[in-house]
Amino acid sequence: MKYTLEELLAVEISRHIKDGEMGFVGVGTGGEAFIRAVGIPAVASRLAQLCHAPNYTIMFGPILDPVLDAESIPETNFEPDLIRWPCRSQITVEEALCIFKRGKMGIGFASGAQIDAYGNMNIVCVGEYKNPKVRLPGPLAQPDHAAHAKRVFAIQKHDCRTLVEKVDYISATGNQNREGLAGGGIAFVFTDLAVMDFNPDTDRMRLRSIHPGKTLKQIIENTGFELEIPEKVPFTQPSDDRDLELIRTRIDPSKKWLNAEITKEPATLEKNV
Amino acid sequence: MQGYTLAELLAVEASKYVKDDEMNFVGIGTGGQAWIMAVGMPTVAVCLAQHDHAPNATLMIGPVLDPLLDDIYVPDANWEYDLIHWPCRCQIPLEDALGIFRQGRLGLSFASAAQVDKYGNFNIARIGTKENMKVRLPGCLAQTDHGAYANRICVTVRHNRRTLVEHVDFISSAGHENREGLPGGGPVLVLTDKAVMDFEPSTGLMRLKSVHPGVKVEDVIENTGFSLIIPSSVPETSPPTKEELQLIREVIDPKRKFLEARITQEAAVLEE
Amino acid sequence: MIQRTSKVKKLKDAISMIADGDKVAIGGSLIRRAPMALVREIARQRKRELTLYSWSAGMDYDLLIGAGCVKEAWSSYCGLFQFGMAMNFRRKVESEEVRFVDLSESCAKDKFRAAAFGQTFCVSKVPLHTSMMENPEFQSIIECPFTGEKYVAMEAYHPDVAIIHAHRADQYGNVQWKPIRMMDNECDILIAKSAKKVIVSVEKIVDESVIINNPTWTMLPKMYINAVVELPYGAHPNSCDTLYDFDLEHGRLYREYSQTPEKFKKYLEKYVYGCPEYEDYLNLCGGIETLSKISRDTLEVE
Repeated sequence: MKYTLEELLAVEISRHIKDGEMGFVGVGTGGEAFIRAVGIPAVASRLAQLCHAPNYTIMFGPILDPVLDAESIPETNFEPDLIRWPCRSQITVEEALCIFKRGKMGIGFASGAQIDAYGNMNIVCVGEYKNPKVRLPGPLAQPDHAAHAKRVFAIQKHDCRTLVEKVDYISATGNQNREGLAGGGIAFVFTDLAVMDFNPDTDRMRLRSIHPGKTLKQIIENTGFELEIPEKVPFTQPSDDRDLELIRTRIDPSKKWLNAEITKEPATLEKNV
Repeated sequence: MQGYTLAELLAVEASKYVKDDEMNFVGIGTGGQAWIMAVGMPTVAVCLAQHDHAPNATLMIGPVLDPLLDDIYVPDANWEYDLIHWPCRCQIPLEDALGIFRQGRLGLSFASAAQVDKYGNFNIARIGTKENMKVRLPGCLAQTDHGAYANRICVTVRHNRRTLVEHVDFISSAGHENREGLPGGGPVLVLTDKAVMDFEPSTGLMRLKSVHPGVKVEDVIENTGFSLIIPSSVPETSPPTKEELQLIREVIDPKRKFLEARITQEAAVLEE
Repeated sequence: MIQRTSKVKKLKDAISMIADGDKVAIGGSLIRRAPMALVREIARQRKRELTLYSWSAGMDYDLLIGAGCVKEAWSSYCGLFQFGMAMNFRRKVESEEVRFVDLSESCAKDKFRAAAFGQTFCVSKVPLHTSMMENPEFQSIIECPFTGEKYVAMEAYHPDVAIIHAHRADQYGNVQWKPIRMMDNECDILIAKSAKKVIVSVEKIVDESVIINNPTWTMLPKMYINAVVELPYGAHPNSCDTLYDFDLEHGRLYREYSQTPEKFKKYLEKYVYGCPEYEDYLNLCGGIETLSKISRDTLEVE
């Protein structure tokens, strides 16, 4: 079966989710940013629950362990609907943030305007902090995840503006200097072109797999720093029919997640590819 | 005493220290006479102040914040079920109650103690030294918190040498001996069955303010375990007015739930 | 019995409690339940040199920044959520007209909580190695005397005034939210408790007996409250928990108007300066009848 970029990423991410752990998904904004920060992680989470991680749960803002099958997903992500999304617990912000601080958060799903060679992320500003070229919305809970989550999964657009040698502002600490921080740092970067991880010896980002149909040249040209490239780089394993079937029939038939239909401002990542 | 009870006299006296717009605190208390001194009398005092000069004063009684204090709203028993259904404007978690203290929003806190010393240090933890303990008492509860943060504290105790001591055996609430670093104002009022005491601002030492009608100053001195500051003239504690007694007996506490601890199902009277 | 004090105030009089240069903490989060009517009145009264504190800001910050009321602002976010960037915020921070201090969600909460619990500071590991440390306010690193772990010390917020929007209150200032509220409304409670004065707008002022019938709904008892203003749809165009949705139409209109300073001036002239009374704003938005299309639950118990 043919698959979309969103589906490829959701399936690939689901493979890295472990049974018994908890993942954090933000409430997200709109459009493409929503697909990366919320839609793909939500679908990956449900797929993992159905395939190999039945005890995995997600925290979705104040909603803990929601029912992730399509028929339970609210019509919109507006407040009155979100409040009634079937879930096992609704928690206070206090509790959500304490869950991080107590080290109970397995995966923090994150997305930023910039990510650098060491996995530092930036959602605050482009240019100097005091006199920024572009002022972005702000860090939200990203520093909290980066400090405390066992693993951070970043989902990013793949271009030289996003993947930079050094971020202009560190809103999430990467792997180079983590002295005093309890969390495990950033584990993977999933983009439109590839999957990256980090070389434990150098702490630098390393190519892990190339999405089918993409080329190494394309990746190098669209990365703003020198990516570590192992001798042999496999292709990202394509989504198989079982996974696609689950996504299209059971998890996200009306594209609430993967095309941001739930936000009423639908979008797609495909146009970037 | 004539025409009024000791509990009524103390409630009227304490009510004069309740300020408008402040939140006041009483604990949940135990039983009998101790309950009247720690809970019953102070509750009547706050309600009396609400009727008289402090309409915006409120009371925190455990998790129940700003309950309706007139008799018709007060439950017949202080069991959990009845307390939870006591009409009030707010029920607060413990965390909030303790936060309120630390923000300095606690006006007058009503306390009781096994020992009170000349500086107004209180003790509800132990009699005797750490090494040679004679009586182990229940423990500090929130008294230390009030001691640190309440704007003013009123303590009600029996007037005898065992209770009013030179120095407490354990400081569960800091008086005026040393308040460095503590934001609260410390104790301002000591009520007993014989007299009313306050503290001399320059020395922080306890001072006789008034003796209850019929009580002699010598009687007070004799029953105090330290040298109390005695001003040159000591007035009598003002007896309750007719209007005050009428309010207490008809509106606030006609069934003596508070002043005879009948709400606890273990009725008592403050006089011996 | 002598009368208790009513804290009910007119919108104008309540906001006139705020002085130029005040530090103002704002409730709500993102584009949810910010006290937008109170915010517009601040802009309408042309307050200046304000410092703003919030947990996660949205249109509230953007409007005040766009109206020139703000010299400094702290939050974990300022954006319009599905409607994209907060353009007034972007322009004025990029041009250094407003100093914006970034901090994470937990750090923002830590600073409100410290104040709400009467402490002067709090600690966190979160800012370590991030650019949050660039601000002079995050320079103090302390060691845990027990474990030796490093923490950044952060001063408690000390707002002069907090403004929040709630579901209902009595005239004395006992403020309630329906328990079905989104759980992050607890931030508003800390925000209110951190401030010297609190102005609350409510959907409805109810009789005290209604409050007494549901005392566990009272999240803010009257001791915290200085002014209560009855403003139905007082969060509009923000959502208000399950009571009403975000007004998509107005959100798109705001986005359009905020694209340039010139256009935003027109927005202010029409929806802020042109509305001396709250009713004028409601009428501009089609009146209560039209607004009822975004209504969902009622204030009654379900």
